[in-house]
Amino acid sequence: MRSRLHQFIALYTTLSALSASALSLLSEQKPDAYIALNILAYYTSYAITRPGVESWRVKAVNIALLVVFLAIVSYRIYEVLTK
Amino acid sequence: MNKLLVLGINIVIASILLLAYGLVMAMPSVIGVSMSMAVIGGVIAVYSSLPRDPEAGFLLSYVKTLVNGLTAAIEDLDLLDAHSSIVRSGAGTLLIVSRAPCVENVDPGLGFSQGSPYIAIPLESLSTVFEGVSAEDVESFLRAVLVDELSICRAVSVSVEGNIYRVALSGLSDLLKEFTRYPLDPYTVVTLLALSRVAGARCVRLVDRSVTPEGVVLAVGVEV
Repeated sequence: MRSRLHQFIALYTTLSALSASALSLLSEQKPDAYIALNILAYYTSYAITRPGVESWRVKAVNIALLVVFLAIVSYRIYEVLTK
Repeated sequence: MNKLLVLGINIVIASILLLAYGLVMAMPSVIGVSMSMAVIGGVIAVYSSLPRDPEAGFLLSYVKTLVNGLTAAIEDLDLLDAHSSIVRSGAGTLLIVSRAPCVENVDPGLGFSQGSPYIAIPLESLSTVFEGVSAEDVESFLRAVLVDELSICRAVSVSVEGNIYRVALSGLSDLLKEFTRYPLDPYTVVTLLALSRVAGARCVRLVDRSVTPEGVVLAVGVEV
C-alpha cells in the first residue's frame, strides 16, 4: 500500500461491500440499515488506518455521517418504543 | 482532477443508476446497496482532495518554517519590493531576488551584485516536475503543469502583451493558498520556472503580482 489514505479506502470499501453483501443475503429490506452499517464501516476503517490530516472537509464528512447515523438509530429506537 | 476524484464520481453515478433501477423495480435491498455505494463515492471524492499522508502535514509545517526564515532574510536585506526573477545560466537555473532585474553570474546563496544584495536559490530539483510535459503553447503548458501534473490550481489563463505574460491562476489549492501572503509563493515560483522553460528564456522576471479572492494574477516579463 502506498499510503494510509489508500489503506483507508481499501479497508472501507471492503467492509462496506461485506456488510452490504451480508445484509442482501439476509434479505434485509430496510435501506437505512445498509447506510448505518456503511457508516460503521467508515468509522471502523478511519479508526484503524487514521488517514485524516487536519482538514475541514474531513471534519464535515465525519460530522455529517455521525448525524445521519444518529438519525437512523434514533428513528429505529423511536419505532421500537412506539410499537 | 485526480484519479480518486474520478473514481468517487463514477461510483456516485453508478449508485444513482442502481437507485433508479431499485426504485423502478421496487427492490428495497437494491436501494439500500445503491445508497451505501453513494456514501462510499462521496467519501472517496472528499478524500481525493486531501494530502496523501499525515506526513504531508509535517512536511507542510517544515516548509512553513523554511519560508518564514526566507521571508525574514528577504526583509532583513530590504528586498521586499525587489525583483524576483529566474535566470538560466552556467550555474543552472536560479531563482534570484534582487533590486536589479535579471542579475547574471551569481552564485547560489546570499551575496552582492551590482551594488545590491541578492538571494539566489537553485531550482534544479523543482525543474524535474516538468519532465515529460509537453504542450503546443504557453497556456497549454502551464495548464498541463499546474492543473494536470501538480493539481495546485483548477484553471489557468494567459494573455500576452509584448514580452509580458499575464497569467491568472484560479481555484488555488487550500493547502498552498496561505503561502500567497509571503513574498515568494509556490505559484509564483512554479509559474516563473514553467515560463522560463516553455519560452526558452534566459531570464523571466516577476513584474507584478496580485492576490485576488479567486486566485493569483501574475505579470511576468520574458527576456529571451
